[in-house]
Amino acid sequence: MNKSNLWSLRLGFSGKQAQLIEQLGFEKFLNQSYATAFEKTLPTFLDDEPKTIAELKELRQSIKNGTADDQKKVIKKQIKNATELKKWWIDKFLTEKFPLREKMTCFWHNHFVATSQKVKSTYWIYQHNMILRENAFGNFKELTKLIVKSNAMVRYLDNVDNRKDKINENLSRELLELFTIGIGNYTENDIKEGAKALAGLNLGEESAVYRRFLEDNSTKTYFGKQGNFKADDLVDIIFEQKNTPYLITRKILKWFIYDNPSEDLVVYYGDYFRKMNFEIKPLLTKIFTEEYAKENSGSKIKDPLTYLFQLTDELNITNSNSNLISFFLKQQGMDLFNQPNVKGWDGGNSWLTSQIYLQRNNASDLLCNGRNISRKVFDKIPEEGDDLEIKLEKINVSIDFNKNGNNKQIISELSNRLLFRVDENLQKDMENLLKYDFDAKDANANYAVLRLFNYITKTPEYQLI
Amino acid sequence: MNRRNFLSLTGTFTGGMLLLPDFLHAFGSQNNLVIGEQCLVFIQLNGGNDGLNTFIPYENPLYYDLRTKIAINKNEVIGKNKGMAFHPALKDFAQMQQNGDLSVIQNVGYPEPVRSHFRSQEIWQTATDSNKYLNEGWLGRYLDLQCKEHQPTAGINLDSIDNLALKGVEPNSITVKDPNRFKIRTDKEENVKLSDNPQLDFVRKIANSVTEGSDDIQKALSKSTAEISYPKTGLAKNLEWIARLVKGNLNSKVYYTSLGGFDTHDNQLDIHKRKLTELNDAIFSFYTDLKKSQLLQNVTIVVFSEFGRRVKDNGNGTDHGTAAPMFIIGGNNKSKIIGNNPNLSDLDNGDLKHQIDFRSVYATLLKQKMNFDYNKIGINNKELEGLF
Repeated sequence: MNKSNLWSLRLGFSGKQAQLIEQLGFEKFLNQSYATAFEKTLPTFLDDEPKTIAELKELRQSIKNGTADDQKKVIKKQIKNATELKKWWIDKFLTEKFPLREKMTCFWHNHFVATSQKVKSTYWIYQHNMILRENAFGNFKELTKLIVKSNAMVRYLDNVDNRKDKINENLSRELLELFTIGIGNYTENDIKEGAKALAGLNLGEESAVYRRFLEDNSTKTYFGKQGNFKADDLVDIIFEQKNTPYLITRKILKWFIYDNPSEDLVVYYGDYFRKMNFEIKPLLTKIFTEEYAKENSGSKIKDPLTYLFQLTDELNITNSNSNLISFFLKQQGMDLFNQPNVKGWDGGNSWLTSQIYLQRNNASDLLCNGRNISRKVFDKIPEEGDDLEIKLEKINVSIDFNKNGNNKQIISELSNRLLFRVDENLQKDMENLLKYDFDAKDANANYAVLRLFNYITKTPEYQLI
Repeated sequence: MNRRNFLSLTGTFTGGMLLLPDFLHAFGSQNNLVIGEQCLVFIQLNGGNDGLNTFIPYENPLYYDLRTKIAINKNEVIGKNKGMAFHPALKDFAQMQQNGDLSVIQNVGYPEPVRSHFRSQEIWQTATDSNKYLNEGWLGRYLDLQCKEHQPTAGINLDSIDNLALKGVEPNSITVKDPNRFKIRTDKEENVKLSDNPQLDFVRKIANSVTEGSDDIQKALSKSTAEISYPKTGLAKNLEWIARLVKGNLNSKVYYTSLGGFDTHDNQLDIHKRKLTELNDAIFSFYTDLKKSQLLQNVTIVVFSEFGRRVKDNGNGTDHGTAAPMFIIGGNNKSKIIGNNPNLSDLDNGDLKHQIDFRSVYATLLKQKMNFDYNKIGINNKELEGLF
């Protein structure tokens, strides 16, 4: 596979940026990726979402006192806005010229998990997502502070129920176990004391605030230090610990490059991260440039997002339906804003089960046939009254290839874009599909190349980058 | 597979059971005995099989004149019948014909023949005119119309790549690269190291288990065993698996597999003999297996290639040609030789002129065996007389 294609896939979601990487060079490409501005205005579908505590109370009151019909309406609207939020993000994935910020935002989204389902406020989820976007290349310690104090997180991890006479340890525990230093590096007592420090940190207007009567102002002992610590103090202390950088560098390596990164690499980059005071940009630059120089393709299973976007990009599908994309992602176990639990999507091998693989193959079959992916194909058991005769939506698909090339040139052109390795059998299969006397100028040639592409997308090799 | 779904698929009923005589009257126009579920098994010979050295006009002096280096000696040919006989490697083809189970259809091709492997295979697989293009295969189109719901195992392709012939709008067929994958996996197999890349190994293992319809296939396999032992060749293996699926009552309508290596531009005598031997042995095992299981009348085997080869040799081999014979085995065929013997004196640029359009054969198979109106998939050629 071409390096530019490989890294376009790694730093984005498809081969779309390969040309840009070649034009700019890798370093410039990275710098421009970091420098990308992003939209800060509130999306219109959030205009009438309740935003202040007062508005939320009002809404809750109206549900409580309303009829069953009113309640239904409110819930329907909530679901609709949550769906709109997904589509809003998917559109960003699709359209960013330099998608690295979105890829990194998605990384943080899966690190500092807060789901729509539990938070139940699309506005707070949006806020949380914007913090991740704004700080995607910022400082990990500062980002952690902001997230702990976000409305979405204090609700998601039940800190709204954490008060001095009734401690709830959830946020305190995950702050250590999942967000920063990781299991094995702290004591149960640290969690208890941390929970005390977080007691009373509750929903606020723009971000969470301490409630005077619920907070615990006693002296806490945290990693051997003593004081009347609050949320920011906890984060400061955690980031003084030697082992704090490794969990995150391991996760970054897993997100971008290796399903199973070596511990040596984790420590190597982790130590550098600490030295850079947890500045994310220099860490990413170091990882990307050093890994770019290595031969390490084929070490990661594509996540559903990358799988699908590469497919639609290769097939030159321009009018992607973000509703269907969102549905596909959910079916594939990558439902945005709705990870199964606080640990987030596991990634790696868990991206592929036989069911998921089959869905991927079906999606490829449909798209290569010029038909959109549809619920019909994924819902195995049709419901009563479903019209089985629904015609599938027709879309225009085509694949780029050298119209002056012979079969081997076209095969290697596609392989270089799509496959991290081609062994003898695979090459033989491809030459069987596109034989030596294949004529690229033949009226039907594009269909033949589409069939080749379709075949490639179903190979095990294609599932890896 | 849900048997109920298949009732809409064919005009025939449950496998292995004799139909009620009453029912046969409904098919009054058909005089063949339709017994049980019918299926078609296609064996595509890739590369352009040399028809003239397969089913040989051994009494035609022109044959020896034009093929000085590669003609098969008249004393070696087998199963002589009205001036035609089989290549010595095809001894069991002669046997099957003697048993009344094999028909030969001579000079099969299509107008304005194309001599590109790639394009000619496309033409055979889509059943179009040679200047027309379709993105769906003829069997795929047939299954699209016959399967009311998506039926992953309506067509089974045993090959490493998908076959255009089976490609339809709906995925009603599957390609099985290695039927061994359907054997119940043991822990030992799971731990086998496949490559130096553990992630790739992981994905390959998943890939091996994903084929849609694999439950149905496993079920069919668990219900059947091989009655006889097959040769250890790729084609024989594939046919052995097909036999097990048929015997296990999978109820697929179409099976497809292929054998490569027929592109004999050079060193033809050796290569062709080896390939025909492989073909003969594999098919005869398959035939014997089906016969023992009393299923041969339900299974129609179709052997064809994308084109035949040039009449005159090029030295030790032959170049791409046009018309060639097709072989039909089983399915209660009438065991005849259909069509005239190849005319070696009336050639088109050194190639045989076709007399029977391959789509006539397709039409006959669809109508007689699948009870399907072939016009619906755009085949307008006339059915062949006297095949079934």
